Amino acid sequence: MEYSVASVDSFVIYFGQKIGSEVAREVRRVFYTLKEAKVEGITELIPSYTSIMVSYDFMQFSYEQICKKVEEALEHAEEFYKETASRCIILPVYYGEDVGLDLADMAKDKKMSMQEIIDIHSRKEYFVYAIGFAPGFPYMGEVDESIATARLANPRGKIPKGSVGIADRQTAVYPRQSPGGWNIIGRTPVEMFDTSYQGFSYFKVGDKIKFMPISKDEFIKEGGQL
Amino acid sequence: MSCGFEVLNAGILATIQDSGRKGLGSIGVTEAGAMDEHAFSWLNRLLGNSYGTNALEIVFGGVKLKAVGTTYIALSGAQVDATINNKPIEIWKTYKINDGDILNLGFATNGARVYLGVVGGFDIGPEFGSVSVCIKEGIGGGALKKNDFLSFTCSGLTDIRKLMLKYKPDYNETLTLRVVKGYQWDLFEKDQRDKFFSSEYVVTSQNDRMGYRLAGEKISSTCKGIISEPIAYGAVQIPSHGEPIVLLKERQTIGGYPKIGSVIPIDCFTLAQRKQDSKVRFELVSLNEARTLCQEFYRYFKEI
Repeated sequence: MEYSVASVDSFVIYFGQKIGSEVAREVRRVFYTLKEAKVEGITELIPSYTSIMVSYDFMQFSYEQICKKVEEALEHAEEFYKETASRCIILPVYYGEDVGLDLADMAKDKKMSMQEIIDIHSRKEYFVYAIGFAPGFPYMGEVDESIATARLANPRGKIPKGSVGIADRQTAVYPRQSPGGWNIIGRTPVEMFDTSYQGFSYFKVGDKIKFMPISKDEFIKEGGQL
Repeated sequence: MSCGFEVLNAGILATIQDSGRKGLGSIGVTEAGAMDEHAFSWLNRLLGNSYGTNALEIVFGGVKLKAVGTTYIALSGAQVDATINNKPIEIWKTYKINDGDILNLGFATNGARVYLGVVGGFDIGPEFGSVSVCIKEGIGGGALKKNDFLSFTCSGLTDIRKLMLKYKPDYNETLTLRVVKGYQWDLFEKDQRDKFFSSEYVVTSQNDRMGYRLAGEKISSTCKGIISEPIAYGAVQIPSHGEPIVLLKERQTIGGYPKIGSVIPIDCFTLAQRKQDSKVRFELVSLNEARTLCQEFYRYFKEI
């Protein structure tokens, strides 16, 4: 673990230099430990792939003091957090060409059929590394190398809500209509962000996700919008 | 009948803001809140409101409102020609506004954001703990529109208060942004850091509630991109084009560009009053110094 100042009231803890499940497990352990330990003076914790940002009340505590409190909490980590099997969530996705805006281009580019891309994307289990960019936007990884695709050179002004996309070896779902440059391969009828959810976001950091192909009819029946 | 303002003219971009949405960064919700907490806090101080009471943040002015009911108002921040029933009023001062009065704001001549507050704030229900509008996330409603009705509770204030001249900022001055080193500081070589701290930059047209992109000397680092990581308020991102972007209240919660450090909050507030072509410079401060400076600000506004 390495500490680095981020701003006058925050710092970042780095866990490694490479994205992967080992580092992600460590991020998750520390994130949930500090959250559960309710360390005095910590105002916010934001996890990402290989790091966590800790914001603190600088009126009361200095950087050195808060780092010490973090260290102390982590020494007693087992009191606050037990690694449990993360929950696995099945996410239904309609992979039709009418919603999978970049499927055809990707298939052409990779000399694969669209069905092959869909099969490869939906076969694997993914891991939620971070939630960010927009409320409830889950950064998941990692897609098979064979379907990894660079972001669009010209990002779209409007990507429809529920769109499932790929950027390099990451995959994600757009919680609402927004601009973006990910390659869109399908759409889910499931709301990613809703005040009725506990914690508001459908996914949590550390969740496992599997995409389940559904038909257009099922997509519409589940409330999906074309 | 309920009291409030009828919106006759909504201006370019006016949104309700308070001190922002805290603690939701881990699910991707940005902070939002008043861009210039200095003007915003003085406004509440003048009105006798508690710290962080909501106000209308108006970009460049141009708003016209009709009062229904009586209350006290104040304006702060950017200098605009403002009138009540065509009679000029000052900013940084409280005024009584009566039923049927027309409040009209011209366009900003010094600064970018003018704040309009009322005693007790506007009557709006919070969303995720704050009434701050974040348009890009669709949280807290939207921008002010013509024919909207901004409710407030009719109120009587006993004295008229005015800010002393010495506290009034001049947003046309070249701004020095004090920076604490952090993040990928070590990935910027000494000559690049020196260039960063010795050059003058100008605010580009790409300036909004998310951040301010600056133009000037290009800075390079020894890396092109980093693994996406959380972004602090004031973080100075240096993307591959080499020109700094200072990230403000509606920054993305995580991002993958190298950062040289962060502008201290109190200087982010005054940056938010700068318009396109305004000049800014950067200056390095120690973490301790930064802490003392910012503590002074919050102690002053929060603890009375």
